[in-house]
Amino acid sequence: MEQNLLELKNIHKSFGENLIHQGVSLTLKKGESLGLLGGSGTGKSVLLRSIIGLERIDRGEILFHQERIEHLSENQLTPYRIKMSYSFQNGALFDSVNVFENIAYPLFEHTKLSYDEIKTKVADMLKLIDLEGKEELMPSDLSGGMQKRVGMARSMILNPEIILYDEPTAGLDPANTLNVVSLMQKLKQKGIASIFVTHDISSAIMLCDRIIVLHQGKIIFNDTPMHFQRSDNPIVQKFINSKE
Amino acid sequence: MRTLSYQLSSISLQLKRFFIFIGEIFALFFETIRCTFSSPFYFSRLMEQITHIGYGSTSITVVIGLTMGLVMTLNFGYGLAKFGGTLYVPAVVSLSLAREMAPLFTSLLVAGRVGSGIAAEIGAMNVTQQIDAIRALGTSPVRVLVVPRFWALVLSLPLLSALSFAVGILGGLIVCKTEFDIIPGLYLYKVFSTVKFHDYMSGLVKSAVFAGIITIFACYKGLNTRDGTKGVGLTTTWVVVTASILILVTDFFISKIFLVIW
Repeated sequence: MEQNLLELKNIHKSFGENLIHQGVSLTLKKGESLGLLGGSGTGKSVLLRSIIGLERIDRGEILFHQERIEHLSENQLTPYRIKMSYSFQNGALFDSVNVFENIAYPLFEHTKLSYDEIKTKVADMLKLIDLEGKEELMPSDLSGGMQKRVGMARSMILNPEIILYDEPTAGLDPANTLNVVSLMQKLKQKGIASIFVTHDISSAIMLCDRIIVLHQGKIIFNDTPMHFQRSDNPIVQKFINSKE
Repeated sequence: MRTLSYQLSSISLQLKRFFIFIGEIFALFFETIRCTFSSPFYFSRLMEQITHIGYGSTSITVVIGLTMGLVMTLNFGYGLAKFGGTLYVPAVVSLSLAREMAPLFTSLLVAGRVGSGIAAEIGAMNVTQQIDAIRALGTSPVRVLVVPRFWALVLSLPLLSALSFAVGILGGLIVCKTEFDIIPGLYLYKVFSTVKFHDYMSGLVKSAVFAGIITIFACYKGLNTRDGTKGVGLTTTWVVVTASILILVTDFFISKIFLVIW
């Protein structure tokens, strides 16, 4: 039986009195895409941030390749953050440096590649995200969709095993949404597993192998997109109908 | 009774917050030192910051140094002339500049210029998730952002203070020559025979300590900025006020230590 790449066991998280997660458990296998849906404020992004250690959970276990990582320090998390990357909602590009330096940043930090090799890798990555020749542009020169794609390029330049996407299509026009979704499809075909936080049900159905719905700190649905569409769970139904 | 218990719990909460804040400031300082002596060390970023923070502050340093020298010499000169003590002006001005005025005023100006800049830059990075991106990409914000700024200012501020002192002495020389007929040779002889090694050291050590205070507080506040652009504005104000007060308070204690040692 194939081992889980990532496993969350009974995650609890709160901010003061505000309970965010109350026993969230899920698994992710190699190459699998998981869509994480839920209303605003249900803790979807917090769950992604907890997985990569940007937020600390109150209770529970996070296992990556069967190793517990939730208690690790920032320094100890470094090797895991290379294998598991995070694509921010707004791209979170470094605004004082250009596109090349943004995408090359992880390569300069974690590899011993020469400058020319890094240049080639960045050029290949820009080709993949349809931004060929834009190395010298500053983040402020890019549209929102382009910034998201550059952010995604930066998060996948080290060939991670998992990419955590935080609302990659939020705020984009249909053309840009299509660009981002097709990029995510390309990465899926490469065998990269992903967790995809979104409100965009059609993209989630198109891309994901499984869909999870978070409601009031708990997972209320965890099944294939087909079952998601046919679910008779009133909350899932309400969620689907509200998006139509 | 209820009011008293409410007030006590409020005070204890504030005390707890204060001690947590002090603890976090020291934790950031020790993490900065730890990151300095473990690889990787970003030498190019350090040079970039020295250019930006140090070289970029030379013009205001020259202005403040020259103004201090001119104004102090003028005031001391006319004050001491009443008692026939004009010849003591070079000694008084140079000692004041070396021990106190040059490091103190240069540091206060740099706290305004550089401290607010660091806090605003890091604060803006924080509210736009760039700090989270640095962490998520497996690197340390302290190593990438704090260490180069800390050492850039710790190395630059003593040099800026020395420049401020030199320009202040030049200002004093101009006033002594034009207002009090003290020839430059005599003026410089009086200056260099009065100011001793420990006076220079006092100014340099103070500047280095002030630099540490400015950067650690600015970086700490920047890394903890919340509430968007409003938060960035509050952060910069807080850093300038806090760093200035701490510089003034610390100045007294370092002066006292140096007077006891030498």
